[in-house]
Amino acid sequence: MRQTARLTALLLRAYVRDRIALFFSLVVPLMLMVIFGYLNLGDFGRVSLAVDDQAKNDASKQLLGVLKGIETLQVTEESTDEALKRLRRTELDMLVVIPREFTIAPARPGQTVPQLVVYGDDARPQQVAVGRQILAQVIDRFSFSVTQTTPVIAVKDETVQGVRLRYVDFLVPGILGVNIMQLAVFSVAFALVADKQRGVLRRIMATPVRIPNLLAAHVVTRLFIAAGQVAVLLLVALVLFNVTIVGGLGSLVVVALLGTILFLTIGFALAGWAQSENQVPAIAQLITLPQFFFSGVFFSKNAAPEAIRPITNLLPLTFLNDALREISVQGATLWDVRTQILGLLVWIVLGFLLAVRLFRFERF
Amino acid sequence: MPSVVQVNDLRKRYGEIEAVRGISFQVESGEVFGLLGPNGAGKTTTVEILEGLRKADGGSALVAGVNVFTDPSEVKRRIGVQLQASAFPENLTAKETVDFFATCYDLDVDALALLRLVELQERAGQRQEKLSGGQRQRLSIATALVNSPQILFLDEPTTGLDPQARRNLWDLIRGIKGRGTTVFLTTHYLDEAEILCDRVAIMDEGRIVALDPPRKLIDDLLARGFTKPVLQQQANLEDVFLDLTGHELRDT
Repeated sequence: MRQTARLTALLLRAYVRDRIALFFSLVVPLMLMVIFGYLNLGDFGRVSLAVDDQAKNDASKQLLGVLKGIETLQVTEESTDEALKRLRRTELDMLVVIPREFTIAPARPGQTVPQLVVYGDDARPQQVAVGRQILAQVIDRFSFSVTQTTPVIAVKDETVQGVRLRYVDFLVPGILGVNIMQLAVFSVAFALVADKQRGVLRRIMATPVRIPNLLAAHVVTRLFIAAGQVAVLLLVALVLFNVTIVGGLGSLVVVALLGTILFLTIGFALAGWAQSENQVPAIAQLITLPQFFFSGVFFSKNAAPEAIRPITNLLPLTFLNDALREISVQGATLWDVRTQILGLLVWIVLGFLLAVRLFRFERF
Repeated sequence: MPSVVQVNDLRKRYGEIEAVRGISFQVESGEVFGLLGPNGAGKTTTVEILEGLRKADGGSALVAGVNVFTDPSEVKRRIGVQLQASAFPENLTAKETVDFFATCYDLDVDALALLRLVELQERAGQRQEKLSGGQRQRLSIATALVNSPQILFLDEPTTGLDPQARRNLWDLIRGIKGRGTTVFLTTHYLDEAEILCDRVAIMDEGRIVALDPPRKLIDDLLARGFTKPVLQQQANLEDVFLDLTGHELRDT
């Protein structure tokens, strides 16, 4: 314990002293945040939503009114046939069909509830995802207000405020995730391969140091650095972009640390495998780049082609980003994101086994 | 005086190559022992086995009273090591580097006192990357002394140093010997071995071909009728160099 703590203190001091590296490790994520967030590069504007109101009764008008009041949605009324044509030409993002027998009332036993049919444009998955999310929340609010018998009008106003989802709110958790991945994989792989090549590890091996303590010190050092970087990025997001973090900061930190541990195991495996510093960037890119694109950093993970989605949904960064995003944007608790946490834990075990197999201190 | 190192019929092969072919020798407590030989003679392999960094194939080796084969980590606890290329963790100061290695032994040391011993006290707060070659070698020796070792292994400590820095390091090694620490030295420089070592072993092709005090080896050679067909010079180029540039260290 004491040895680990003292080694950590020294490694941390050395890490922080390299101000240029520290600066640049933050510059890239900040740049991404500014480019994508400030210039709104990834913004999808509004979600264009067609409504085919086949009921044309008070209840359907009420629903239509709420949807039209939502800033993010651009609502038009058109028939199903026409809207489907426009959907195929990607002129529309979504179509909602309100059935003829539509009501907003508590369901009695044995009675079926009205069913909204929703069509989404496959080519614009992130818009569809946001649209579905808004719709689900609107329906939740209606259900709540009806069962609680509170005035529907009062709830309606709150709803309009509540579902405002800006792109930057979506973006920030993704940036956190990708930054954790880069930091953990690159920093540990570069540092250890450099130490291996320069003979530092060999010199350390000539001392009776306990290897698990040394490895633990490397891990804990990175956890501190990751926590610091997450704090800085969140601060910038809050101050510069006024991002709202709905969920608990504590849950966010727990998931971020789990993610760091996961990617550290991959970094150690890589450090064990690589023979020279030149091999590190190539392999690290090979590992991180697909996740950069397919794990929902800048766009919804559903932007990945449907054929490979079963794979991309299982990528480590996908679990991390999903959990961070659900906590940050939807206010999920750790229990709510238990599936993603389980995914992270499975990857941690796999990464650990791989690292143990590939990383042999004795070989240096 | 008891032996600090006892090697008996030590063997090591890498595939087809027999690097060490059954060597035996002893290092006595308090002496400076030199292991000499051309590249590929098996010096480094032998030293690394004694340091607990490499496994041997046969024979036996006791270092500081401990069997290296069965308890390498106890050997590491009792010895000090300076490897050929001294490399330290990046971005640490000289003092922190000493602290780092003390921590590897789980010891608290007076890092400044060790730096003073190797004349680096003024560089304590400087990053180790910024030190000159000679200073780095001295820092390396300071890190090798953190555990007050019974025996200090130095692998080619003066390679790449200028004449002033070499002489300075010789003084340091003599000082360490004066404190009662045994020194095990490998080197390419025969003048260095002649000046520093109480006894030298000369290795070639995995075998020890001679083991005696330097003076005796020379006398034996002369007794065999060896003569040098050169004029006895009163000075050499190195003497000229040192006369012109002084003995003082340039990097402090």
